Amino acid sequence: MGLLDVSNLRAGYGSVPVLHGVSMSIEEGSNAVLLGLNGAGKTTTLLALAGLLPVSDGDVYYDGEPLTGSPGARVRSGIVLVPEGRHVFPALTVRQNLRLGAWTVRGDSRRFRQNLGEVYSIFPRLGERSDQLAGTLSGGEQQMLAIGRGLMASPRLLLIDEASLGLSPKLTEQVFEAVKVINQRGVTVLMVEQNAGVLEQADTAFVMQQGRITVAGKGSAMLDDEAVREAYLGS
Amino acid sequence: MGAFVALGLFQGAVYGLLAVGIVMVYKAKRAFNFAQGEFGGIAAFCAYLLIVALGLPYWVGAVGGLAAAVAMGLLVERAIVRPLESSSRTILLVALVGVALFAIAVTVLLAEPVPRVLPPLVEGGGVDILGAGIQPQQLILLAVLAVLAGALAWFFRTDLGLAVLASSQDTLAARVVGISPEAVSRLVWGMAALVGGVAGLLYAPVGIFTPGFMTATMLVPAFAAAVLGGMTSVPGAFIGGISIGIVQNAGIYLLGQQWQVPGASQLSVFALLMLVLLIRPQGLLGKEA
Ligand SMILES: Nc1ncnc2c1ncn2[C@@H]1O[C@H](COP(=O)(O)OP(=O)(O)O)[C@@H](O)[C@H]1O
Ligand SMILES: [Mg+2]
Repeated sequence: MGLLDVSNLRAGYGSVPVLHGVSMSIEEGSNAVLLGLNGAGKTTTLLALAGLLPVSDGDVYYDGEPLTGSPGARVRSGIVLVPEGRHVFPALTVRQNLRLGAWTVRGDSRRFRQNLGEVYSIFPRLGERSDQLAGTLSGGEQQMLAIGRGLMASPRLLLIDEASLGLSPKLTEQVFEAVKVINQRGVTVLMVEQNAGVLEQADTAFVMQQGRITVAGKGSAMLDDEAVREAYLGS
Repeated sequence: MGAFVALGLFQGAVYGLLAVGIVMVYKAKRAFNFAQGEFGGIAAFCAYLLIVALGLPYWVGAVGGLAAAVAMGLLVERAIVRPLESSSRTILLVALVGVALFAIAVTVLLAEPVPRVLPPLVEGGGVDILGAGIQPQQLILLAVLAVLAGALAWFFRTDLGLAVLASSQDTLAARVVGISPEAVSRLVWGMAALVGGVAGLLYAPVGIFTPGFMTATMLVPAFAAAVLGGMTSVPGAFIGGISIGIVQNAGIYLLGQQWQVPGASQLSVFALLMLVLLIRPQGLLGKEA
């Protein structure tokens, strides 16, 4: 049994089904990757796991318990989403954004200082810009802030939706490297990507097609599998 | 002249108290709350019912009036604001004007449009300030405004206050960090209604009051005060309210009494507003957090 076990998950928007039975298992401490083309259902999967989208069928077990409850309750239990498109609070400062990341653990000032120190050590740029409004940061800095804000909640399972979207290859590499460090510090990570370069650091990889997981395996093996790459990743 | 400045200061405190509630809702919802005056209206009428008509102690009437205002705030949030969450802010504005008109119509129906007198928080003779007779109630009003403005300015720096700003900037992001935007919305409307209730409860005894007394004479200068202060600044609303009160009354004295200019009161308010916005289009203290 993994930290997260998803079986036969179905969800959609209104009456339109998008996920037609998603199954996957993520080991505690692993760095997992979910790949797939645009519109495959990756974001929908993460929203359902974060409690932001109702699930119509299927089972999700987190740490051996059925996963239910409000988005806030899930953050408190350690499941934290870094949403697609960053979604920082534009008219608040970097530091205020990070403070809100710790919303579910507010009042714990020791943990706040500890997490803030960790975020600033992983992303020194955020420390330099702590009083700057988030809306005035570059795309890459906003992505770092979105991940940093997620870390402020002391996550056990960090769900990162397309961190590389719109970033230069160099920045993408930096962000992937930071996620690797976060994973090495003990946070289980599920990264959603269209960028197959992420496979280099993935222990486990899943390929999603039209609302189903069609391939699952080791990240390194999938990187070498030309057939998989051509068929499922379009690269 | 001195007496007019003193009168203006205390009248400005009422504008400020309303403006603080208007700013609170604007910061949280980007909505112009035209119902803000009627939170004060319902508080005054309920307090009157309990204190004067039923003969209960003052504090029962005060608590009852404020509770009624908060209940109205929560009702407005649930029945009007929530269903219009994704509508344009103009539609919400019109709906809130509707709420104010509806509230006035209901008070007219239930209470008849006759002038009433609500007892003040503190009885006693007036004091002389710069030649103007100022009631103890007006002194309290100014003090309460200062305390409330300070408390609300501080509130927006707390975690909860940041959560209010966050929900207004990005609802999805607010949910992602674990904030419930629905709970935030209830909090904001409850607090705004409470501040409005305090304004009505304290202002009604300064003269006589009738249905719609807050909306009819206080709301427009209060909006001018909020805009003058920058629309997003609580201290700005405080300063804006007081400046408008003083300039308005100085205008009544100089333009109206000395030079016989018609409409001196409104003229001076809008002259001040235009002047400030020409020099500082963002208002005196406009700033988000
Ligand atoms: N809010 C929405 N309402 C209706 N359909 C949606 C919505 N968001 C996404 N979809 C549809 O769901 C499918 C999967 O979308 P998504 O999960 O965002 O894909 P991915 O993240 O893999 O690119 C797409 O066909 C998309 O059009
Ligand atoms: Mg997506």
